[in-house]
Amino acid sequence: MAGNPTVFLLMVSGQIESAEFPEFDDIYCRYCWVYGQDWVITSGLEEGITQVTKKSHDDRKLFVWNFPLEVTFKSTNPHGWPQLVVSAYGQDAFGRDVVRGYSAVHIPVTPGQHTRTLPMFVPESTSKLQKFVSWFLGRRPEYVDPKVVAQGEGREVTRVRSQGKVRVSFNVVTKDMKKLGYDTTPTDAGASTQPAATGIVPGAS
Amino acid sequence: MAEVHVIGQIVGASGFPEHSLFCKWGVHAGGAWKILSGTREGQTQVDNPQDEERANWSHPIDIHFSTKGLQGWPKLHFQVWHQDSYGRNELYGYGFCHVPTSPGMHNLECVTWRPAGSLREQISQYFIGGGPQLKNPDVVYTGADRCKLTTVTMGKVQLQLGIILRNFDKYGIEC
Repeated sequence: MAGNPTVFLLMVSGQIESAEFPEFDDIYCRYCWVYGQDWVITSGLEEGITQVTKKSHDDRKLFVWNFPLEVTFKSTNPHGWPQLVVSAYGQDAFGRDVVRGYSAVHIPVTPGQHTRTLPMFVPESTSKLQKFVSWFLGRRPEYVDPKVVAQGEGREVTRVRSQGKVRVSFNVVTKDMKKLGYDTTPTDAGASTQPAATGIVPGAS
Repeated sequence: MAEVHVIGQIVGASGFPEHSLFCKWGVHAGGAWKILSGTREGQTQVDNPQDEERANWSHPIDIHFSTKGLQGWPKLHFQVWHQDSYGRNELYGYGFCHVPTSPGMHNLECVTWRPAGSLREQISQYFIGGGPQLKNPDVVYTGADRCKLTTVTMGKVQLQLGIILRNFDKYGIEC
């Protein structure tokens, strides 16, 4: 292949595996990818919704979604590296949809298999009266746009309560990062392997 | 020019006496370093954990440095504050840690401390809160005037950072 690459690819295959929310039941998740201006999704969905799941009746009290995530990004610059934003929703006592937690995590920068546990948090009302009114009307405080969770700016004025955690696993593959000069693994690793360009297949006699 | 990307988050903090914590963070680097994109400081949300002891911030950090030299490798510094139900803020700890020098994913735990103050200040802090704070926060990441301080150990801040380096091997740097 002639010519130097100017873009690199990041491919992620993974799943929103499971969650623990001790006080709640019947939960589903919405997810979306948040990334910088230099990034573009070349395949896969930008957002999605999982099924509604009930917690297990054993001691683990686990919610399982096993929801596949498959996406490929193209970029010229690692700044703005994509993040997965997960929002969990459930139903309150009156049958209305309320938010149970938000969280965001960066896709790991090294190729390979990674598991992440995302602690979930919800915005909190400031006064006790507001808390009662929102419980009564079923309109809990929530973010207008969940993507806010993936930013650092503007967080200093929010008060949140953290509850529950969601487990996500990622399998990360990158292409052409090394050719563009980017290192995502330390120099010792892989120093002794044969370069693929010589046409030698490892293990072949 | 070599480049460093710091991509990750301030996950949370644990080991502090009270809940309802937030963190002010900043990054400091030597003269040869320049920030090409990303914010160099910020403040997390105030978190009140329901089920567990650890405060969860999940505050994203995405900074792109370029550098002409190895000296002055970037350091992240933190101030952990407690916000009580009346809205008052009390300093709970200072800490710093260097950005890791090798590429890849890193889980870091940054220890924190706060200034101790005289016996009188400690007694008043016990009853009404609000202990001494540093006049010059630079002391957190330099060793300059530390010998004059007496400090008390506080909790830890957890970070998860992914480091991408560019062109370091062209200059013969092994990391």
